Amino acid sequence: MRLKAIICQVFTREMEDIIARSNHTIDLEIIPMGLHSRGAEMHTYLQERVDAADDAGYDAILLGYALCGRGTEGLQAGKTPLVLPRAHDCIGVLMGGHQNFNAYFQEHPGTYFRTPGWTEFQTPDSELEPPFAATRPQLGERSTLKELIAEYGEEDGKFLFEQFNAFRKHYTGLTYISLPVASDEASRSRARAEAAKEGWKFEEVKGTLTILERLVNGEWSGGDVLLVPPGATIHAKMGDATLDAE
Amino acid sequence: MALDRNIYDAILNGNAKQAYAATQAALAAGAEPMTLIQDSMVPAMDAVGKLFECEEYFVPELLLAGRAMKTSMELLKPLLSAAGQKMAVRVIIGTVKGDLHDIGKNIVASMMEGSGFEVIDLGTDVTPEKFVNAVRENNPHVVCLSALLTVTMQAMKTTIDALETAGVRAQVKVLVGGAPVTSQYAREIGADGYSDNASGAVSLVKELLGQLAA
Repeated sequence: MRLKAIICQVFTREMEDIIARSNHTIDLEIIPMGLHSRGAEMHTYLQERVDAADDAGYDAILLGYALCGRGTEGLQAGKTPLVLPRAHDCIGVLMGGHQNFNAYFQEHPGTYFRTPGWTEFQTPDSELEPPFAATRPQLGERSTLKELIAEYGEEDGKFLFEQFNAFRKHYTGLTYISLPVASDEASRSRARAEAAKEGWKFEEVKGTLTILERLVNGEWSGGDVLLVPPGATIHAKMGDATLDAE
Repeated sequence: MALDRNIYDAILNGNAKQAYAATQAALAAGAEPMTLIQDSMVPAMDAVGKLFECEEYFVPELLLAGRAMKTSMELLKPLLSAAGQKMAVRVIIGTVKGDLHDIGKNIVASMMEGSGFEVIDLGTDVTPEKFVNAVRENNPHVVCLSALLTVTMQAMKTTIDALETAGVRAQVKVLVGGAPVTSQYAREIGADGYSDNASGAVSLVKELLGQLAA
């Protein structure tokens, strides 16, 4: 098959690895991390990318996104079917689906999750230049301390930065999801360092590439991958089903 | 209505130091705490809410105004307590079980407090049982549930069901909110209302409680 893959940057190393081993021809488009924080903009942005690929004669467009805070809800397939993982987010995808994730989540409250992608492309200090900055109308959670001080002054800027990052104090543990990618060891070290810095207990679980492999290899009939036929729209479904196409 | 311009401006401009100083000065001049709240603080927070709705203020301005309001309240609350005075509306708010995000919840709590409601903030990762106990102990008029993740949103339903099972659902209005929450989801789980912003949440409480919250 000839496939287009539009993926979140968080899956970069995983997808590069799987695509390299695939028998299909896959054109890869990587979108910077952070769309999930953009609310309704995520849907609009992804629909534009899907529409841009729709006329290129692909057999399907693979999406390296899950429900992602409802960011994929409402995406419509044009002439080309869409295929995406049935999970709430990247953590669920890399833990092998929502049921696996939920079982762990219920037993481990207060957990901050990291994956190779999260540690490589996102940092806890928000020091990286945030993506989509040009379209961001106002300062908020993804702003750096420097930006907030520049806008609001030293005292108010520091207060705001503390407010936006205060939620991190509620976490008690960091769980690193280990995956069979080249960056795994380096990512694990960074995750361990982050846990130490925050005073969080470090744990590691073995993740799985199974759902992404099914996506790339055209194994779309199982329950953990959703095929969106031409003209159909993605709907969110609370509970294990997560996503559906109508 | 006796508007204290200094308190009003300090809150509107998000200046906590000025809010404190202005409140101190007003109290020293003989102003009644409840009057300061009703005639200066509430209109200021109302104006903040309107500026947010028309996209002149954003989340940082809400946080700064909230801080200024709270600084003023630090002086007023003990005086109200000593005089046995209570707010007409009591609200319980919390982020649901499994969810540790709180910035939206904090802003809603702030706007509600600034609107003259008594707010009991249960924090984050609040179990259904804890919500039920808080309702039993405090007899609130409103329970606000917050969630930021689709994986934790479902705890909103289990919380509402727990209130039902405990026999206290009928005595409260339940509002839900948070990025992945929708008005449709609110209806599906039996909530009384949904708002996608803090200012809207305050208006919803006023609408649902009528004269009590006026």
